[in-house]
Amino acid sequence: MYVELHSRSAFSFLEGASIPEELIAVCANLGMPAMALLDRDGVYGSPRFHLAAKRAGIKAHIGAEVTCTSFSPRRHPSGCELRAASFEQTGCPQLAARSSQPRGGFRLPLLVASRAGYQNLCRLLTKMKLRVGRKEGACASDLDFIEHTDGLICLTGGEEGPLAAALTQGGPQAAFDAVKRLTEIFGRASLGQSNVYVELQRHFHREEEYRNRVAIEIAESLHVPLLATNGVNYATPRERELADAFTALQHHRTLATAGRLLAPNAERYLKSPAAMRALFADVPQALANTVELSSRLEFTLNDLGYEFPRYPVPEGETMMSFLRERTREGMQSRYGRADAELKKRARRQIERELSLIEKLNLAGYFLILWDLVRFCREQNILAQGRGSAANSAVCYSLGITAVDPISMELLFERFLSEERGEWPDIDLDLPSGDERERVIQYVYQRYGQRGAAMTANVITYRNRMAAREMGKAMGFDEDTLKRISAAVATWEFKDENDALDRRLRDAGLDLTHPRMRKYFELCLAAQDLPRHLGQHSGGMVICEGRLDSVVPLEPASMPGRVVVQWDKEDCADMGIIKVDLLGLGMMAALKDSLELIRNHYRDPDKNEEVDLAHLPADDPLVYSTLQKADTVGMFQVESRAQMACLPRLKPQKFYDIVVQVAIIRPGPIVGNMVNPFLKRRQGREAITYPHPSLETVLGRTLGVPLFQEQLLRMAMITANFTGGEAEELRRAMGFKRSEARMKVIEEKLRAGMTRNGIHGETQEQIIQSITSFALYGFPESHAASFALIAYASAYLKCHYLAAFTAALLNNQPMGFYHPATIVKDAQRHGLKVLPMDVTRSDWKCSLETVASCQRPVASKSNALPDCGNLAVRLGLKYARGLREPAGRALVRERSLAPFASIQDLARRVPELRKDELATLAEIGALNAIGNSPQSHRDTEKSNGKNFSVSLCLGGESVFHRRDALWQVERAVRWSGPLLDELPEIDGKSPLAAMTQEERLVADFRATGLTVGPHPMQYRRAEMKKMGIYSAADLAHLPNGRRLRIGGCVIARQRPGTAKGMMFMSLEDETGIANAIVAPDLLHKNRALLISERFLMIEGILQNQDNVIHIRAEKVSPLRVTRAETVSHDFH
Amino acid sequence: MFACIFIPDFSVQAIIRFEPELRARSVAVLTGRPPLEKVVALNESARQTAVEIGATKSQLETWENLVLRTRSESQETSAHAALLDCAQSFSPEVEDTAPGIVLLNLAGLEPLLGPLPKIARDLAQRVSQMRLEANIAAAANPDAALLAARGFPGMTLIPEGREAERLGDLPVDVLLESFSSGFSSDAQEAARWAETFDRWGIRKLRALAALPEVPVSERLGQQGIRLQQLARGAASRNLRVLEPRLIFAESVELEYPIVLLEPLAFLLNRMLEQVCARLRARALAAQELRLNLELAATQPNGCASFTRARTKTFTRTLRLPAPMLDVKIFLKLLQLDLQAHPPGAPIVKIHLSADPARPRALQSGLFQPVFPEPEKLELTLARIAGIVGEGRVGSVELLDTHREGAFALRHFAPGEPSPAEPETKHEVNQSGNRKQDKSMQENDSACQVGEKLEENAKETMSAVIALRLFRPPLGASVTLREAKPVRMRCLEREDIAGEIVWTAGPWRSSGDWSEQEGWSREEWEIAVSSCQLPVSSCQSDEREPTTGNRQPATGLVLYRLVQDKLSGNWFVEGMYD
Repeated sequence: MYVELHSRSAFSFLEGASIPEELIAVCANLGMPAMALLDRDGVYGSPRFHLAAKRAGIKAHIGAEVTCTSFSPRRHPSGCELRAASFEQTGCPQLAARSSQPRGGFRLPLLVASRAGYQNLCRLLTKMKLRVGRKEGACASDLDFIEHTDGLICLTGGEEGPLAAALTQGGPQAAFDAVKRLTEIFGRASLGQSNVYVELQRHFHREEEYRNRVAIEIAESLHVPLLATNGVNYATPRERELADAFTALQHHRTLATAGRLLAPNAERYLKSPAAMRALFADVPQALANTVELSSRLEFTLNDLGYEFPRYPVPEGETMMSFLRERTREGMQSRYGRADAELKKRARRQIERELSLIEKLNLAGYFLILWDLVRFCREQNILAQGRGSAANSAVCYSLGITAVDPISMELLFERFLSEERGEWPDIDLDLPSGDERERVIQYVYQRYGQRGAAMTANVITYRNRMAAREMGKAMGFDEDTLKRISAAVATWEFKDENDALDRRLRDAGLDLTHPRMRKYFELCLAAQDLPRHLGQHSGGMVICEGRLDSVVPLEPASMPGRVVVQWDKEDCADMGIIKVDLLGLGMMAALKDSLELIRNHYRDPDKNEEVDLAHLPADDPLVYSTLQKADTVGMFQVESRAQMACLPRLKPQKFYDIVVQVAIIRPGPIVGNMVNPFLKRRQGREAITYPHPSLETVLGRTLGVPLFQEQLLRMAMITANFTGGEAEELRRAMGFKRSEARMKVIEEKLRAGMTRNGIHGETQEQIIQSITSFALYGFPESHAASFALIAYASAYLKCHYLAAFTAALLNNQPMGFYHPATIVKDAQRHGLKVLPMDVTRSDWKCSLETVASCQRPVASKSNALPDCGNLAVRLGLKYARGLREPAGRALVRERSLAPFASIQDLARRVPELRKDELATLAEIGALNAIGNSPQSHRDTEKSNGKNFSVSLCLGGESVFHRRDALWQVERAVRWSGPLLDELPEIDGKSPLAAMTQEERLVADFRATGLTVGPHPMQYRRAEMKKMGIYSAADLAHLPNGRRLRIGGCVIARQRPGTAKGMMFMSLEDETGIANAIVAPDLLHKNRALLISERFLMIEGILQNQDNVIHIRAEKVSPLRVTRAETVSHDFH
Repeated sequence: MFACIFIPDFSVQAIIRFEPELRARSVAVLTGRPPLEKVVALNESARQTAVEIGATKSQLETWENLVLRTRSESQETSAHAALLDCAQSFSPEVEDTAPGIVLLNLAGLEPLLGPLPKIARDLAQRVSQMRLEANIAAAANPDAALLAARGFPGMTLIPEGREAERLGDLPVDVLLESFSSGFSSDAQEAARWAETFDRWGIRKLRALAALPEVPVSERLGQQGIRLQQLARGAASRNLRVLEPRLIFAESVELEYPIVLLEPLAFLLNRMLEQVCARLRARALAAQELRLNLELAATQPNGCASFTRARTKTFTRTLRLPAPMLDVKIFLKLLQLDLQAHPPGAPIVKIHLSADPARPRALQSGLFQPVFPEPEKLELTLARIAGIVGEGRVGSVELLDTHREGAFALRHFAPGEPSPAEPETKHEVNQSGNRKQDKSMQENDSACQVGEKLEENAKETMSAVIALRLFRPPLGASVTLREAKPVRMRCLEREDIAGEIVWTAGPWRSSGDWSEQEGWSREEWEIAVSSCQLPVSSCQSDEREPTTGNRQPATGLVLYRLVQDKLSGNWFVEGMYD
C-alpha cells in the first residue's frame, strides 16, 4: 500500500496543473486510501480537496510547501536577512532557475498532524505573508519555525527541498547538517516518532538518484525514517504539457525559450501504489512509512475549530437577553403604528424566531449585524439587508432589512431552520465606494486585523484568458494576442459557432497546423484552472479569537485590508460565517440624489426633505412611468427584457414591482412561468391551481409559482415537509445539485403527496414545477428588498430628474446603459445637460440653475414634472485622461480666483498636463475662459449675469474649441521668465472652428457622450429619404408592418435563455428601438452586427400590448458619424 | 531641379518584378513565422477586394484569386538596386532616400538629356523597363519632389515657385509618412504630430502652410517650422549623395579553357595581386572575395563546347572573419575552396572581385596571450573544413534544452581574452562553506558521520568514469523482459552484443512537444557480458567495470543504451571507459 504525501494542485498557481478534485478522482481510481495536498505557501485548494476526498471516501491530509531562506546558524530576529541571497548563492542553481521565488533558499514541505499543527501552519503562513507586500515573495526563516512546529511533520522535499539545496550548495556534509537542523527544529513526537522524514523521489533522473543515495545514508545516520513520494504536480501524464506552459508563463518566457526551466519529462503524475512499489523496490520501508505517516496525520478540515465571535454585552446581560431587548425596541419602532392584528402576528413571529435563534445559539451573529447597521445609521450610510434575511421579522426589527416580512407573508424558514444546521446568510447592500470602505474598516477595527478578513476570489482561466495566456506561452506576438482576445469574447448564449475553435479560426488561426492544434489543446486544458487569487468584492469573515488560526491571511492589494486564502464558497463549505458587505452603485446614487435634493431643490411647495424610508407608497406618476416602460436608469427594471415585460404586467402597487423584479430571471423564463402569469394578469387566461390546497400559497401570483418561498411552501403543504426539509429540497436542487440527493428528496416529496392524497398528474405537475424552477428561482424576500430600491429610484427619477441623473452619472459604471444613453434619456424628459466648463464644472456632475427657456422640449409622453430650472452640469471626471488630483486642483484654484486666460489656468494649475489641457480644450471646456478679456468677464459679473448662460444665449460662440487648442499649445510651452508674461501679439487663432461632425467626434472621444443633439438628429432628413422610421414613430404603426429602423447600437445581448436570439437596442434622437436577431441572421452577419456602431435594420414590426420591437430580416451598416459611440454588450 | 522616383507598394512590386504574370492579379505580401504570417503589403487590386493589412494567412483563404507571397528582402534589395542604377544612369547626384524611394539632382542635365518633361518621361520609361511602376515628380527642391511623388500618381512636374500651390492639396499624412520614414524622427513622433494636426483640423498641406509662422514657432518649435516649410515646398537642402561604390575587380578572358587548378591558381595569384594593390592604395582591405568563373558548357558526348551562348557561371564567395589584405592567404583560401568545390567544367573566363572594408586595427595588450592572427586562423579553419566538410567546423554552443547533446555550431571567432580567474565562484563558495562548516562543529559523532559522507563523496568524485560516445549512435536490437533490457545486439558492430547482466535506469527525458520536432527518449546504463560469462561471475565485477576496449579482459562492458520512444528504435549511444 502507498499513500501519496507530497502533491501540488493548480492552487500552487502556475506550479501545478490539476485541480484538487481531479487529483482526488485519480487517487480514488488508483485505490489509495488517503492523499496529502501541499500547495505552495498556502492551503488555497484544501477546502475543495477536503470536500472532494470526503465525497470519494478518501482521507485528505493537509499541508503546504513553505518557501524558506536557508537555515542559517546565525540567527537574526527579522529572519529575512537572507532573503537577499539568491538560490545561486545558497547553492541551488536548479531551483534558482525554476523557482518562482527569486529570493530564498528552498521549499520546506510540511504536513499537518493535529489541529495545533494546522493552527501553527496557518499562523506561520500568515506571518510570512503579512511581513511583505502583496507582490513580494514571502519566505520564512528558521526562527519562524521554532515558534510553530507543534503538530507539524516536516519532509526533506524533492529537488526544491532543503536537502537538495544543501547538497548542491555544500555537498553531503551540508545536506547532513540541514537534515540534522530540521530534526532539531521539529523534534520528535511524544511516542518517540520522528517529526522529520527524509523524502525520496524518483522521476528517472540520474542526479536525483545521487541525491537519493545521500539521503538514504543521512537517514540511516540520523535514525530518521525514509518516505517515498512522487512530488506530484499533476494528476495524469497528459497534463505535463500544461504544466510546461505554466512554467513558461511563470518565468515570462515562451515554450521555445524556456529551455531547461521546463520539466525534463512527464513523471510528476499521481502514480499507482504498484508503480511506486516497483520504483522503490530497493527501499520498501520508504513505501511502508507512507502508510504509517498517513495514520499519524489525524487532522482533517472537519476539525477546523472555527467559532463566530461573541458580541460584548453589558454586565448582567446575556447575548440573548440583549438581542431580545434590541428586537423589542426595534419592533416598537417598526410596528408601533400597525394595526393590532399585524402587531399580534409580528409579536408571535418574532418570538418564534428568537426562540430558534436562542436554540441555535445565533444571538451573537444577529447582534454583530445589528451593530454594523447601527454604525451605518450613525455614519449616515445607507444600508439595507438583502437576500433571505428579509424573511426575518427579527432582522426587520433590528433594522437590518427594510421589508416587512409579516405583512408580506414571507417564509421565515427560507432564512433559518433548525434542520439545516447552517449559519444564516445575511448580505448588506451599501453605497459603493468610500462609504462601503468605511464599514469594512469598521469591521477590521472592531475585530482586529487578525480577527477579520475579506474572502478571496479565485480567478480561473476562462476562454479569453486561457487563449491569451497560452498564446503568450506559445510565443505569439502582441497583435495576434489582441486579435485572439477580441475574437474569443463570447455571449452568455453559446452555440456551436461560439466554440473556442471556431472563435480561434475567426481570429485567423489555422487550427489544422500541428502547432496551432497544440495551442488549442492547451487552451482547453487550462479552462477553469485557478490563475491567481483576487479579493471578493464584499465578503468578510470574522472569527472568535484569531482568524489566522483557521485560515492563513494575506495582504490585499488595498492598504489596510487582509484577505483569507479561501474564496467565498470555500468559506461557506468550511462552515465559516461570512457577512457580505456589497457595494451597490444604486445605493450610492440614491444617497447622492438625496444630498443634491437637499442642496438644490428649494421649492417650498415640495417640502424637499426626502426620506427613503417614508416615500409616498403609491405614487401614480411612478406607476404610470413603469407601465410605459420608461425606465432608463431605474434599478432592476431598466433592462431591455424588463422593459418588454412592464407594459404587459402594468405594475399598480408595490407587490407588482416585487413580481416584476423576480419574473425576468432564468427560473421563471426556463420554467415557462412568464407567459402564463402575464396572460392571467391580463385576464386572458383563467387562474387555476395545481391543487386546491395551494391556493393560499400561489394566490398572490395568480396560481403561477414565481418565488423560491412558494416552492418551499408547496412542499410543506402538499408533502408535509417541515420548513427545514423544504429548504433542504431547495438546496438539493440548487447549483451544486446532486442526482442522488435529488432522488432521495423527490421520493420523499412523492411519498408525502401520496399521503395527502395528491396523485397522478397533479403530483407530476407539482413535482415538475418544483424541480424545473428550484435551480434558478428568486427568493421573494430578495425581490422585495430590490423592489424597494427600484421604487425609490423610480420615485427619484420621476420627481427629481436632475438630481437623480447627476447622481447616476456620478456613480458610473452601473446599470444597463452607458452614460451617453442616460444623458440622452434625461434630455428627452426635458432636462438640460450643460457641457463641461472649467469655469463652472466640479469634479463630479453638479446641478445649476438655468433660465426655463433653455430647457429642452420633451415630448408630452416623456415629460416629467421635475426640474424647474435645474440643469445638470457635466463634471470634470467625464474628461477622459484627466486625473482626479489635477481636476480637483483646478476646482480648488478656481475657487480662489477665476482664471483670466488659458495661460493663467496652465500656470496656476501645474498639475494639469498638456494632454489633459488639450482634452479639455477639445471638448469645449475651456471656451468660457478664453472667450473674452478679463474686463469683459468682470463686467458681466458686475451686471449679475451668468457668464456661461450669456454665451449660450448669444448663439454662435466667438471663441471656439480650436481657439482654445491653439492657446493651449502656447500655454504649455514655457518660454522662460522673460517672455512668459508677454502677451501674444495677435492672439487670434488661425484655426477653423470645428464642424458639427468634428465636435461629435471630439465629444465621444474625450467624454464618451455628447450633451448636444443626438448624432442621428443631424441625419434625420437623409434617414427619412431612406425610409427609416424613428424610434418614436414605431408606437403609432400597426403590428406586422415591414419597415426599417436605424440608430446607434447602445446594447447587445444574447441571453443564455433565449435560444441564440440576439437582442439589440438602437437609439436615435427620439428614443430607443429594439430589434430581435435570429441566430441564422446573426451568423451570416456576425461581424456587422457585433462591430458596427450604427445599423439599419429591416424587418417586421411587432407591436403587442405596447411592447414594440422589430424582428430583423436584413441588416446593413449606416454611415452617420465617425464618433466612437459605445454599446454596452453583455458578453 | 530635383526628381524623385517613388515606388508605391514597394514590397509587392519587388515581387511582381520577378513574377510579371502577377501584375494583373491581387497580391498580398506576408511576413511572420508560420503559421502566424500576416499581411504587410498589398497592391491596389488587392486593396479593392477589402483585404486589410494585418490579416492572417488563414483569414485570406476565403479570398479567391488573391495571390499570397512571402516578403522577400533579397528581391526588395535587388529592386532598389535597380532603381539606384536607373537614377544613376541619369544623374551623378543620387540620394538613396529609403527602400523604393530615390532622389536625383537634375541640375544642368537639360542640355544633355532634353527638357524636364522629357527627362521625367525617360525616367518613367526606364523604371518601367525594370518592371517597376513608379510615381515620378520633379520640383525645385528635393523634399517637394519627394512629397509630390508620394502624393500624386504618375508623373508630376512642379514649376519653380508654385510648390505651395501644387502641394497644398496633399493630405498631411503624406508629409508625416515622409517625416517618419525619411527624416530623423521616429514613427512615434510622427503620430504625435498627426494628433496635434488632427485636433487643429489641419488636414491638407495648404492649411499647414497657411498658419502664421511666429505663432507656429511658439507652439511647435523649430520642427514645426520645418514641417511648415516642407508643406509650402520651401525647404531646401542638399542631397545626401550616394557615393559611387568602389569596385575592386579583375577579369581575365581565356584563350584556351583551363581544366586544372594549378594554372587557375597562377592566374588567380596575378589577379589577387592587382586587387590587393588597388585596395592597399586606398588603405582598404577585403571583407569578402567573390570569384565568378564562366564555364564552358559540356556537350552530351562529353566534349566541351565553347559557344559563348551556352556557357554557365560558377560562383564562390569567401566571407572573411576580419578585413584582410594578404595575397598568399587569399590564394590559399581560394585554392582550398575550389578543391572542396571544383567547378566541374573548363573555365573560359575568370572574374574576381573584393568587397572593401577598413582594415582591422588592433593593439594587443602587453601581458595578454597572443591570439592567432585572423588570417591564419581562417586559413586553418578552411583547411579543416576541406577535410571534414563544410558546416562541421566551428565553436560548439550548447543549447538550453534537456535534449541530450543538443548543440549549435557557430563560426569559430575567439573574442578578447579575459583575465584568468583564480577559482570559480562555486569553488570559492565550497571552500568557504567548508571552513564555516568546520567552525560549526558541535557534535563529534555527527561530524564523524558527515566526514564519512564527505569521504564517500570524494571517493565517488575521484572514481570518475568517462563516456565514449558513438557518433552517430549505433543501431541495436534489444530483448526486453519485464520492461527491462536483458539482451542486446548491435546491428553495425558484432563485438557489441550479449546478455545484459546489470542495468541502471531508465532515465527518461522528453521535450519540444509544442514543436513539430518533439522528442522522447529513455536511457539505460547496461553491463554486457560479451563473452557469455555466467551471470554470477559478471556480477562480481559489477563495481569495477572494465575499460571499453573491444576485447575486454573480464568480459564485462558498460554501455549507454537509448531508446527513441517515438520511433521505438534502440541505439547504443556510448561506452563507459
